[in-house]
Amino acid sequence: MAEQSWIDILKLSKKTALIHDGKRKIHYLFTDGKEMAEEYDLNTDELIVRKWRHKSTLGAQSQWQVEVGEPLAGPVTSLDSDVIKENCANPVFMRKDTKIAFQWRIRNLPYPKEVFSVFVEPSERCIIIKTSNKKYYKKFSIPDMDRYQLPLDSSALSFTHTNNTLIVSYKKPKDILTLEQELQKELKKLKGTGEGDINCKTQ
Amino acid sequence: MATTKVPEVRDITRIERIGAHSHIRGLGLDDALEPRQVSQGMVGQLASRRAAGVILEMIKDGHIAGRAVLIAGQPGTGKTAIAMGIAQSLGPDTPFTALAGSEIFSLEMSKTEALSQAFRKAIGVRIKEETEIIEGEVVEIQIDRPATGTGAKVGKLTLKTTEMETIYDLGNKMIDSLSKEKVQAGDVITIDKATGKITKLGRSFTRARDYDAMGAQTQFVQCPEGELQKRKEVVHTVSLHEIDVINSRTQGFLALFSGDTGEIKSEVREQINAKVCEWREEGKAEIIPGVLFIDEVHMLDMECFSFLNRALESDLSPVLIMATNRGITRIRGTNYQSPHGIPIDLLDRLLIIATSPYTEKETRQILKIRLCGFYFRCEEEDVELSEEAHTVLTRIGMETSLRYAIQLISTAGLVCRKRKGTEVQVEDIKRVYSLFLDEARSSQYMKEYQDSFLFNETQMAQMDTS
Repeated sequence: MAEQSWIDILKLSKKTALIHDGKRKIHYLFTDGKEMAEEYDLNTDELIVRKWRHKSTLGAQSQWQVEVGEPLAGPVTSLDSDVIKENCANPVFMRKDTKIAFQWRIRNLPYPKEVFSVFVEPSERCIIIKTSNKKYYKKFSIPDMDRYQLPLDSSALSFTHTNNTLIVSYKKPKDILTLEQELQKELKKLKGTGEGDINCKTQ
Repeated sequence: MATTKVPEVRDITRIERIGAHSHIRGLGLDDALEPRQVSQGMVGQLASRRAAGVILEMIKDGHIAGRAVLIAGQPGTGKTAIAMGIAQSLGPDTPFTALAGSEIFSLEMSKTEALSQAFRKAIGVRIKEETEIIEGEVVEIQIDRPATGTGAKVGKLTLKTTEMETIYDLGNKMIDSLSKEKVQAGDVITIDKATGKITKLGRSFTRARDYDAMGAQTQFVQCPEGELQKRKEVVHTVSLHEIDVINSRTQGFLALFSGDTGEIKSEVREQINAKVCEWREEGKAEIIPGVLFIDEVHMLDMECFSFLNRALESDLSPVLIMATNRGITRIRGTNYQSPHGIPIDLLDRLLIIATSPYTEKETRQILKIRLCGFYFRCEEEDVELSEEAHTVLTRIGMETSLRYAIQLISTAGLVCRKRKGTEVQVEDIKRVYSLFLDEARSSQYMKEYQDSFLFNETQMAQMDTS
């Protein structure tokens, strides 16, 4: 039932597809005003980018929030911006999925592997990365699992550390895999136009 | 050898200049709204302060919209001071917008647009919004000033929680506000990521044993847990005008090309009014009618007055306070005479508070307050005013004007310091009194010597024809 609802939301949304740069780009506009944009690799069908945007309570358009893919460099925020931002030497957190697993990469973590502990917190539906030297801590959820309301399983979780990068993987459960394949089929049916302005294709 | 001049780096907190009304901290009323003779920088004007107190209560209740008050009185009788007192007593959460009557005449927007913007700036909406904040204990602040003294400062801030540590790059504005808040290592702070607002929560418990001189009011707090960046729901007050601006901006990359000028479409305003009413009914937001203060209101013209008439009837209307020093005079934009230069139909809607000239005793007290204020701010505590000089100054204040006497305080202080005196004497006052003319003496001078001034004849001719 709950699985259905996310699919329904997807089906009800207004979708626009576009093939550009070897990527299939899809833009979803949901009924509640939220927007989602996805980019898939044309050859491998791998998800490269998924980002969200919504309007704030006061009506201002917010920045794109990246769920999957490289974090956006802010639009024109120059180096000498007036406020505060993280130093470039800080760890960079990003998600980059493979076909069979959700995967997160945290770069700039020059500590040995023993320092890290990664575990699932089922009550809060999130994964926690901790460091014994108290340098890095991150609590994050898997939005895909939340959308389908699937429970988190600690046996699916694993992590490695190479080249100053911590890679955390969570194997996709069967349900997700089948649903993603279905979605792929649907998306391929969407007529992807070339460049330029395109008519919005609604299902 | 070229020597580069290093400009003196001054502490920002100290640059507080003395304005005409910077000594006013409130209306100086007790709990029963009875005015105290001298309190919170206010002196005398008991009846009008009491009246203002009643208005203040009305504003604080917030149930009444669209009331208007006129403060009328001779020049230099504390009209603006009363309005400032109201603003101060309302506190920072109630919007208070002040403008002078001539400010609305601009080529960029119409008079009524300027007035409606001012009206909407004076209405606050308290609403919950989710914002991203950074909360942590300061490990280290490092600020590098360029050796030449000019150019951008660069700064780094290291924050930690019990679990993690992050280094942030600081922009210029951030560096300024950090030094303004006197943030130092060991403080627990929150930073609103969008606006850059810094709030000091207290000092970390781990620093409680530091050998350090601390005020009695220093609070100790735990070092925050978990991640540094959090999303938090905060309640804040925005004005209707700010919501208008957010929603009327061109979206997308076009926003780069359209400057933020001027007029807001009435459709946008209507949409927002509807939205705000909806929020209020759902309990999401609360409307806080604030105060719009228009000084020198006789500068408005007939169109503005009829606009005010209509605007006051709207249910989203702030309390309007106006001040004027005119008697019966011409209404701008017409040939009619009217009291205070305001049409009778608008006057009829107003509650009028009158201010009266200060007595000698009150003048004396105001001069004393201003004097303390002046020397305190200038950190010249050893300079004082002798009793006789004070009396002379009071007499000058009574005979010329209060403003002139206040001007003399600072100039006499300077003269006294130049002769290395510690107390301002009557001679100092006499000296500056002879150096600077007051309005009456200046007019007198004009009358005596007008023949020798430029353009004298043409002006006289004009006066004859009119």
